[in-house]
Amino acid sequence: MIVAEQKPLAELKAMLDGYRKVLVVGCGTCVTVCFAGGEKEVGILASALRMATRLDGNGIEFDEVTVQRQCEWEYIDPLAGQLSDYAALLSLGCGVGVQTLAERFPAVRVLPGLNTKFMGLPVEQGVWEERCQACGNCILDVTGGICPIARCSKQLLNGPCGGSQRGKCEVNPETPCAWQLIWERMSALGMLDRLLQVQPPKDWSTSRDGGPRRIIREDLRLPEDYRD
Amino acid sequence: VRSLLDEIGLGSERVQMVNLSAAMGARFAEIALEMVERIRAMGPNPLGQGIGESGGVT
Repeated sequence: MIVAEQKPLAELKAMLDGYRKVLVVGCGTCVTVCFAGGEKEVGILASALRMATRLDGNGIEFDEVTVQRQCEWEYIDPLAGQLSDYAALLSLGCGVGVQTLAERFPAVRVLPGLNTKFMGLPVEQGVWEERCQACGNCILDVTGGICPIARCSKQLLNGPCGGSQRGKCEVNPETPCAWQLIWERMSALGMLDRLLQVQPPKDWSTSRDGGPRRIIREDLRLPEDYRD
Repeated sequence: VRSLLDEIGLGSERVQMVNLSAAMGARFAEIALEMVERIRAMGPNPLGQGIGESGGVT
């Protein structure tokens, strides 16, 4: 899932300064399950902002709505009819949700209520950890299902480095050494010989630099005359 | 809730959670009195009446 966390109230108050009526828009997908921007968080944040802005003497009016998914037109289009009252939308979606709202409703100011952190999973209740950096060229088959791009501090393809100490990373002793984990996994699978093959430099052209990436599936795409 | 109340500017001291058994009546009264004193010293809710869900924190 995409993992995010709420911005501090003080930052949100500064961002919203000058607006009279704001719609707080939650998202029912990733940020609901990481407790950052679902219906419950929308309710709590809207109440907190109502009180905080009133204490500051510039009481802003906040309304609340949560859509199933902020990152698809079909889920946000129904909002179109309710937006004329609002000077701004405070999105509790991830960065994709914020941009989807801003792109669909250009006449309204759309503001981010969350900081989008990473793609990961809850490793225990209340603790989330990154697992994938979307490099666009998956090598998990070679590394026993443990990603050295997301989990090795140095993104080594042929680890471990000399700084791995008792299974921990020298960059941060709280971080398990990804290459130690890879070695242990491959050992348990009886596939250590695979690690002797030196991995060539990775093709980073599929990764993040160079503008937004696209996937075009011609088998799914509508014929040109039918596209939006 | 306490950290949120601080962030809002209402003060975390306005709410407290205590675990007590049903047999601890005297301790309950003591805690309630402390709470009343603390709240009196802080003064009334600065938001007054009429704010919350769609209106009121009471």
